[in-house]
Amino acid sequence: MKQPELFGTTSFKLSVLYLGLFVCSFIVIGASVYVLTVHSLEQQLKNGIETEANRLKAEYDAGGLNGLIEEIAEDECGAAYLFGLIGPHSRLLAGTLKNIKPEAGWQELTHRLAVPDATGNDKLYIYVIALPQQIWLGVGDTGAYIEETGKAIIQAFLSGIVLVLMLGAGGGIYLSRAFLQKIGGITRSTEAIIAGDLKHRLPVAQNPDELDKLALLLNLMLDKIGALLENVQQVSNDIAHDLRTPISRMQFRLENALHKPLSEAQYHEQIACALSETDTILATFAALLRISQIEAGTRRSGFKPVNFSDIVGSVTDALFPVAEEQLKLIRADIDPDIILDGDQELLTQMVFNLLENAIVHTPEQTHIEIRLHVSGNNIELLVADSGPGIAEAYRRKVLQRFYRLDQSRTTSGNGLGLSIAVAVVELHGGTLTLLDNRPGLKVLLSFPAQQR
Amino acid sequence: MKIAIIEDDAETRAYLVNGLKEIGFTVDSASDGLSGLLLVKEGHYELLVIDRMLPHLDGLTLVKTLRSTGCTVPVLFLTTLCGIDDRVEGLNAGADDYLVKPFAFSELAARVHALLRRPRATMTINLLRAQDLTIDLLKRAVKRDGEIIELQPTEFRLLEYLARHAGQVVTRTMLLENVWDFHFDPKTNMVETHISRLRSKLNAGGKPDLILTVRGAGYIIHETT
Repeated sequence: MKQPELFGTTSFKLSVLYLGLFVCSFIVIGASVYVLTVHSLEQQLKNGIETEANRLKAEYDAGGLNGLIEEIAEDECGAAYLFGLIGPHSRLLAGTLKNIKPEAGWQELTHRLAVPDATGNDKLYIYVIALPQQIWLGVGDTGAYIEETGKAIIQAFLSGIVLVLMLGAGGGIYLSRAFLQKIGGITRSTEAIIAGDLKHRLPVAQNPDELDKLALLLNLMLDKIGALLENVQQVSNDIAHDLRTPISRMQFRLENALHKPLSEAQYHEQIACALSETDTILATFAALLRISQIEAGTRRSGFKPVNFSDIVGSVTDALFPVAEEQLKLIRADIDPDIILDGDQELLTQMVFNLLENAIVHTPEQTHIEIRLHVSGNNIELLVADSGPGIAEAYRRKVLQRFYRLDQSRTTSGNGLGLSIAVAVVELHGGTLTLLDNRPGLKVLLSFPAQQR
Repeated sequence: MKIAIIEDDAETRAYLVNGLKEIGFTVDSASDGLSGLLLVKEGHYELLVIDRMLPHLDGLTLVKTLRSTGCTVPVLFLTTLCGIDDRVEGLNAGADDYLVKPFAFSELAARVHALLRRPRATMTINLLRAQDLTIDLLKRAVKRDGEIIELQPTEFRLLEYLARHAGQVVTRTMLLENVWDFHFDPKTNMVETHISRLRSKLNAGGKPDLILTVRGAGYIIHETT
C-alpha cells in the first residue's frame, strides 16, 4: 500500500484534528499551572522577606544603627536571608548585598550583581527600607527554587505533549492502517470478482463494525447477482439444448428432401415436418420473451379489476372436453365474482397453463380438482390432481425455466408453462406453492385480496 | 380487390406481395411509413397490411393518422414476436386485426379474407345461414335441416364464428382469439377437441360434415353445398 493513502484516510485526519485540539488544551492548562504556581511561590517568599525587614527595622528603632549592625551580623550566621545595610556614598555598613539601589520597595537582581563575590545567576528578591540619615536596609532571598519549580512544571508538560503526540500519531496511524487494511481486503476481493472469480466474497471480521456490515450487505448482493447469473447461464444452456433437438430434426428433414429422390407427397411431408419444427422453436422463443416481459413488470401499469371467477370458469370450460377425451375428470368449485386487480390476458394464460399441466402430465383416470375461493385476506386458487405428483426434491426445480421431470423430453411442451405461471403470479403479488396432494400434486396460488 | 402492404423488410414485403397476388389480389407496396401514407391517400384500397415498426413514420402513428383523417379501410397490423403489448396498442390505435411475426402465409390469407368480409357498418343480423344450418342469434337456437340441435355456450360461440365467416378458412389461432379470447398457443389439441364435439352434435343422424378441415390452415363451413 502506498504511504500517501495512509495520511489521506478519514481516520488519520480525525486523529490529527483531535491531537491538535488536545495539544492546545494541554498548553493552556500547562501555562495556567505555571503562572499560578510561580506567582503563589513568589508571594510566599516576599511575605517572609517583608516580615524579616520589618523586624530589623523595629530593632533599629529600639537599638539604633549599632544594634541593627549587630543583629544583622548575628542573623547572617543563620544564613536564612541575605542582608545589606548601605550608608551614605553607597558604603556597605553590614551584610553582603552591596549593590542595592537606594530606593524603597522591591528590587530584583541576579545573585552575581547583588553580591560582588557570588557567582550564582539565580534571581534575588530584595526588599529595601529607607532608614534615617540616608541609610538603606535591604533584605533578600534567592528565588532559585521558584525558577526550578517553574522549569519542572514546563518540563513535565512538554514531555506530556511529546508523549501525547507520539501516542496520538501512533494511534492514528494504527487506526488508519487497520482501516486501509480492511479497504485493501475489500479491494482485493472486488478485483478478484471482477477478474471472474464470482464465488469470491468480501472479508468480514468476527466482530463486525460498520465496514463489515457494509461488506456483509455487499456479499448478500453478490449472492443475489450470482444466483441471477447462474440462472441466466442455466437458461442459455437450456435454450441451446432445447433448440438443438428441433433444429437438428429440421436439418435432417431438409437434407433428406434435398438429397433423396422423393415423391411429391414425400417432399410435402418432409417440408411440413420441418415447418412444424420451426413452430416449436418459435414457440419456445415466444414463451421466453413473454416471461422476460412479464418479469419486467411493465404490464402492471395496465392492471384493472378483473373477474377472476369468470377467467377460471372459462378456462375450465375450454379444457373440460380435452380432459374428458383423455379419460380424466375435472371437478370445479369456483366461488362467483371474485375480483382481482390484474391483467386479464396473463391471468387467463396462468390458469390455463396450470390446468393444462394437470391434464397433460397425469395418467388416465386421474381426478383433477380446480377450486377458487377467498380465504381470510387471500384469494386462493387450487389446482390439484391425483396423478403421480412431484417428489419434494424436485418441486423447486420444476419452477425453473426449461426444467422437465421427463428428462427424455418426449412429452409435449417446452418446460416453460409453469415458469410463465410463476412470473404471472409474482407480477400480481401472489405466491405459488407446490404441495403434496397424497397422491398427486397440489398447486396452491394465493393472491392478496383487494381492499375496497 | 386492391391491397396495400407497408413493410420495410424487402424479403417479407416480396413474400407478402407475391403470395397475395397468387391468390388473386391486386397489391401495391411501400417500404416506409411516409410513402405508405401517400400510397394509401392516393389509391383506393380495400385492405391495408401495416408493419408495426417502420422507418420515418411508425406503424402505430400511421394507423392513428389514417383513422383521424376519416379513413375506415380495414387494417391488419403486423407485430413482432416479443411485443405482447403491441396487440392492445395496435387495436387501440384503430387496427382491425393483428398478426404476430413470423406467421404462416395461410394464416395471413385467412385473416385477409375475414377482414374483407367484415361488414363495414355493424348491421344487426339476427339469422345466420349456411347450407342447411340456421342460427337464430336472438333465441340462440341452432337448427340443421329443421332439427333443433342443443349446444353448450362455447359450442354455440364456436359455430357462430364459423358461420359468420362461412366460405372462408378460419384458422386455429383466429378461433382461440375470437371464441375463447386466448392469446397463446395451448399445447393440447383443445381447439380440435371442441370442433370434434361440435361436429358430432351437428352430424347426429348421419348428416354430412358441415365443418371441414383445411389441412395446414384451419376450418371452413361452405355457404352452399
